[in-house]
Amino acid sequence: MADIKSLKATKFLDMLSHRQARFEVAQAELPDFPDNAAVLAKALHPKRQYLKIESIQERGEDCKSFTLVPDKERGTEALAYFGAGKYLTVFETIEGMPVTRAYSISSSPKESLEGKYVLTIRLVEGGLMSRYIFDNWQVGTEVQVSAPAGNFEYQPLRDAKKVVCLAGGSGITPFISMAKAVCDGDEDFEMILLYGSKSSDCILFKDELAELEKSCDKIKVVHVLSEEKGRAKKGMEKGFITAELIKKYAPENEAYSVFICGSQQMYAFVDKEVEKLGLEKKYIRHEMFGEFHNPASQEDYPSEVPETVKITVTIQDKTYTVEAKTGDSVMQSLEKNGIAVPARCRSGECGFCHSHLLSGKVYVPKNLEYRRLADYKFGCIHPCCSFPLTDLVMDVPAAK
Amino acid sequence: MKTYDVIVIGAGNGGLAAAATCAREGLSTLLVERHNIPGGSASSFVRGRFEFEPSLHELAGVGAPDKSGQIEDMFLRMGGDVEWCTHDSTFRLVVPAKACEKDAFVNENGVLVKVDARMPVGFESFARKLDELVPGSYESCMKAFDLSTRMYKALDCLDNLKKLPGSIKDFPDILRMVSHTMKEVLDALGMPKKAQDIFNTYWCYLGSPASKLDFLYYMAMLHSYVEYGTGIPKYRSHEMSLALDKVIRESGGDIWYNSEATRIIMKDGKPAGVVINGEKEVYAKYIISNSYPYAVFKDLFEKKDIPEKQLKMLKSRKTACSLTTVYLGMNKTKEELGIKDYSVFVAPDSDSDKQYEAAQNFKSGFCIINCLNEIIPDCTPEGTCQLFLTTMTFGDVMKDVRPQDYKKFKTEIAKDMIETCEKALGLSIMPYIEEIEIALPTTFVRYLNTPFGTPYGYMLEKWDSMIPRTVQYLGDQPFDNFFFCGASQERGDGYGCAYYTGEKAGGLVVNAIKKEGK
Repeated sequence: MADIKSLKATKFLDMLSHRQARFEVAQAELPDFPDNAAVLAKALHPKRQYLKIESIQERGEDCKSFTLVPDKERGTEALAYFGAGKYLTVFETIEGMPVTRAYSISSSPKESLEGKYVLTIRLVEGGLMSRYIFDNWQVGTEVQVSAPAGNFEYQPLRDAKKVVCLAGGSGITPFISMAKAVCDGDEDFEMILLYGSKSSDCILFKDELAELEKSCDKIKVVHVLSEEKGRAKKGMEKGFITAELIKKYAPENEAYSVFICGSQQMYAFVDKEVEKLGLEKKYIRHEMFGEFHNPASQEDYPSEVPETVKITVTIQDKTYTVEAKTGDSVMQSLEKNGIAVPARCRSGECGFCHSHLLSGKVYVPKNLEYRRLADYKFGCIHPCCSFPLTDLVMDVPAAK
Repeated sequence: MKTYDVIVIGAGNGGLAAAATCAREGLSTLLVERHNIPGGSASSFVRGRFEFEPSLHELAGVGAPDKSGQIEDMFLRMGGDVEWCTHDSTFRLVVPAKACEKDAFVNENGVLVKVDARMPVGFESFARKLDELVPGSYESCMKAFDLSTRMYKALDCLDNLKKLPGSIKDFPDILRMVSHTMKEVLDALGMPKKAQDIFNTYWCYLGSPASKLDFLYYMAMLHSYVEYGTGIPKYRSHEMSLALDKVIRESGGDIWYNSEATRIIMKDGKPAGVVINGEKEVYAKYIISNSYPYAVFKDLFEKKDIPEKQLKMLKSRKTACSLTTVYLGMNKTKEELGIKDYSVFVAPDSDSDKQYEAAQNFKSGFCIINCLNEIIPDCTPEGTCQLFLTTMTFGDVMKDVRPQDYKKFKTEIAKDMIETCEKALGLSIMPYIEEIEIALPTTFVRYLNTPFGTPYGYMLEKWDSMIPRTVQYLGDQPFDNFFFCGASQERGDGYGCAYYTGEKAGGLVVNAIKKEGK
């Protein structure tokens, strides 16, 4: 008859001394074992990257490409590799205000191995960071950026083999990186790029795009010009990126993905056009919205909101109370008062600024809702896209 | 700068439970966490219209609607507000067959398999089902559950360290269960090998196969799953972590996120505080670390301050498994996909030791497929569902992968896992993927800062199993004012285990401070 009694109970007593004996005979030294997962994690996700500007290329009146290289003296030996489409968050201090902005990398992943990132930045009217960059970034200027981040990337298990890419203005930058990655063999898909610009003389990366199209048969470029005078040249279309135009260039009896990157005005127009195509949701991918302004223009914005409120914020062991405009995001208001807060995407999506709202009410634009379900239950917000409606009391993580 | 009663390093499950325990007892408590949110593994993330569960498969400790289990008890006791969802199932094990094997058959999905075991809740039902699959296994199965029922009484004794080891001797069978492996005990109970394989399916939740894992520890887990079924929080495990965050705050504790402990301050040969982010010094009478001993001693201590025994322990223990998970937001419902189970374990062989051998590397044919909608039907928008596929690996499996290979490598591993599940379950998954995220050991290193990204602590082996670890816990701690908690400690991995060790470490500090006060 099978029975547990056939096993010795006294064996237990040996276990205790045996265990301590195992420890006793071991060498007293920190184990040193190869762990490439840790090496990779560090290489791909450094806390900060310390760079300097190696060269600057002017692209017309209001746009520049900055080539950034590692600054070994400040401890960055090599650049973090990235998937084409990712962005870097740039950290600056402008008149005592800690400010951050996310910019898509326009160079290829391969170039990062050679020690080079390129950020292509357009001067935004009234833009704080772009104005600062245009006035201050020179060859040799020291720059701090985050690790590459973002989810606007080609994923072969999810996306179709053919991708219609819709770009507007400086929204071309992640697509330049993707096109280069396709040419380098680092990404494998067919790119049909519909690129909206005002006119043929203000197309960014015009020569580079022509070169990429010529050197790689997986890339097709169509310029869509909204204010072009005269007849459209070969490879160009006049007007806007409409559903009709997308259909004209999209594969006919084959699945295709649509990737979109541009300004908020462009999204407002193009999203409606893309909707007419009746594609499955999985085939439509959006780069982030960018920083949101003027919440009062939204239909669901409440009435009778005061112009200014007070925000009391605790970061570690320090508490500050600041006056804030209700038209500014919580993040902007804190930064304007010289308080550094964690920031990456500034579009609601990445969640890096996740904070506790202990009392008060905020407005969050609907299309910037990327909070987790439990965040609603426990009063957590993303300050980058939350606008105060009343006085607020908050607990915010340290800036990083 | 004020001196806290206690600083807790790391807001993983163990650290949250430890800080909540201390704060609720009125200790001035500071919890520091290097990430921006609490939880470590117990978290969530959003992609498109899906919010994914990053690590939790199922909780054995939620209990049933009419009967709360150990984890629900802890949240009730602490006042942590979590909405629980439960499900009346345990697991399904599917072992695909190669065409010519003799005991192969075609299952309900039209797939040729060697084993297809869908196991119910309830000891009696479980044993009957096992007997139906492997005739002659009913009696040994019921005996195993009888042992585990009695074991719980003995475990109550163990919770009080002072009584040990004296009183445990009153439970001779428990001593046998502690000092013998699953295989040894099930053999002694006369369970047929094939039934043992099915019985041992959950081994991977603990990371050690039947020949290494002690019977008591495995049964503690299996017993509660079979008794209660499965439970999970309604809003992913981020809900559990935020609930404990709230308990700590409301009890007067401080929590600092994005605040990494970068050095331990020593005074008179003992830890006296922590440096945060390399700049801010904070002092405390006691320190509890949820961060692993390896990370703590490697990065936070000067060599001369590390107790010799800690180095010896680190040198002699083996890191447990690491995980790889593929998170899938599907643009079809589970019914449209043909998924009928919450948890299916797909294995290349029914024997847990052979599964363990295979899992030494990627592409092992071992994969757990979970469909969250099976328990929370509305956890994704209408017309969709979410799946997550998990496999385990051991050691330096990322070796030779360079940064520039990483994305392709990741995609290749995910593809292999998806295809393994498609084949084993006769389903089509690939065309319906709307969102995908892939977490490899590298990802877990990034978020957990553990060797190889393990969430499981140190391998539970015969010589270093749960009960000896528990009995010797105090002697294994580095200083009389510094305690570890979490997966690296006596109970290994698992949410319930981490909470338990956190509460226990917190309790030790609470008692010590109360004593000082007298």
